[in-house]
Amino acid sequence: MALRYEYTVETEDLAKYYKMGVYIVKALDGVNLKIRRGEYVSIMGPSGAGKTTLFNMIGGLDRPTRGKVYIDEVDISKLDAYELAWLRARKIGYIFQTFNLIPVLTAMENVMLPMIFAGVRREERIRKARELLERVGLGERLYHRPTELSGGQQQRVAIARALANDPAIILADEPTGNLDLQTGLEIINLLRQLNKERGVTIVTATHDLKMIDVSDRIIYLRDGKVERIETRAEIAVEAEEF
Amino acid sequence: MSGVEIGEIHLPLSEAFYISVQNVRRRFARVAITTASVTLGIAFFVSLMMMASFQAQAGGTGVQPYMYWLLFISLLVCGVGITNSMLIAVAERYKEIGTYKCLGALDRHILEMFLIEAMLVGGIGGVAGYVIGLIAAIVYAVANPAVGLQNALAALVRPNAAVPFAGALPVALGLLVLGAGIAILLSLIATIYPAYYAARLNPAEALRYEI
Repeated sequence: MALRYEYTVETEDLAKYYKMGVYIVKALDGVNLKIRRGEYVSIMGPSGAGKTTLFNMIGGLDRPTRGKVYIDEVDISKLDAYELAWLRARKIGYIFQTFNLIPVLTAMENVMLPMIFAGVRREERIRKARELLERVGLGERLYHRPTELSGGQQQRVAIARALANDPAIILADEPTGNLDLQTGLEIINLLRQLNKERGVTIVTATHDLKMIDVSDRIIYLRDGKVERIETRAEIAVEAEEF
Repeated sequence: MSGVEIGEIHLPLSEAFYISVQNVRRRFARVAITTASVTLGIAFFVSLMMMASFQAQAGGTGVQPYMYWLLFISLLVCGVGITNSMLIAVAERYKEIGTYKCLGALDRHILEMFLIEAMLVGGIGGVAGYVIGLIAAIVYAVANPAVGLQNALAALVRPNAAVPFAGALPVALGLLVLGAGIAILLSLIATIYPAYYAARLNPAEALRYEI
């Protein structure tokens, strides 16, 4: 089957300005990106560079002041609230620094939640949730609640949840931010494996230098603009020069 | 839109109900405070109505017009308390609400979840309030020689036309039904503003919120 969309994510002169009293803060100031299907892209930059804002724009969580975002060639500014909700449920999986699991639900129930919104039948939901949780290594903890799970385990549940509806893209905002070195590495490797296995495009916004090894491309943001883009080949060459 | 079929978003009532039940079960402290508001209001309502009907049974005056005003004001105070409590509950859960929206929830799903929770709290608070009110009224009857337990029990099994809407039922049953009904309705109305506010949150801002 031929791939229909070459670029899963495309942004065109994307800008987001916030008014703080009399000041205008330019969180994003003209970002042009094209991310291919199946790519693993990291967005890096100092605090305040606009990583989370870019993440929010791509994820359809907020509207830009200027410019367009295309997900699978659909201009998301043209979608109404219902269609946006569908997009978030079906096309995009989200992973957060603070895991953001629903605390009153078990791991299984958390993973099944997006499938409920997508209208998946109960037996299928259970089967798939179990399969995903086993894939991320939590087969023994299906019925644990987030308070009974460690940070790394919670993030694994979040990853399983993000994959529940077979999204085209996974957006990860600082996925290793609240994790120690070892656990962070495990999560990064898990994401890379899933990226290769399932061909799901992964876009992470991160400070974590460990992410560099697994990324196909790195987009450096500074002051709301793209400073430079590096591919893994280029980084390897730079490392050699040391 | 090029070739993308937008499908449907569902939140079946049974699932919304299940999630709300879990929220009530697992967040005991937060829920207890909101429930207490309901319980106290209904306890006052039930006990006052019952005491008045016991007195009437014992040959004194029954439910007086000014009592309806007392009850109305006290329920209003409880309602405001519930609204306050639910606003805090919503604020504590901004991130969670943002997360639900990321998973595909529509505004009205958030509204539904909070309103169902409100009705559950109302139901539980109403029944608890009834029990406390009943005990208080019985204690009053026993401690008051002019009334006595006999009159209390007799009044409880007879209908009393002074009880609004449930005047045809025996007082004990009528006040249970009325008490629970008022509790659920009050809880629902008091939660409309907080639930509406929660439903309209912008996901990006909601997720950013640090308590």
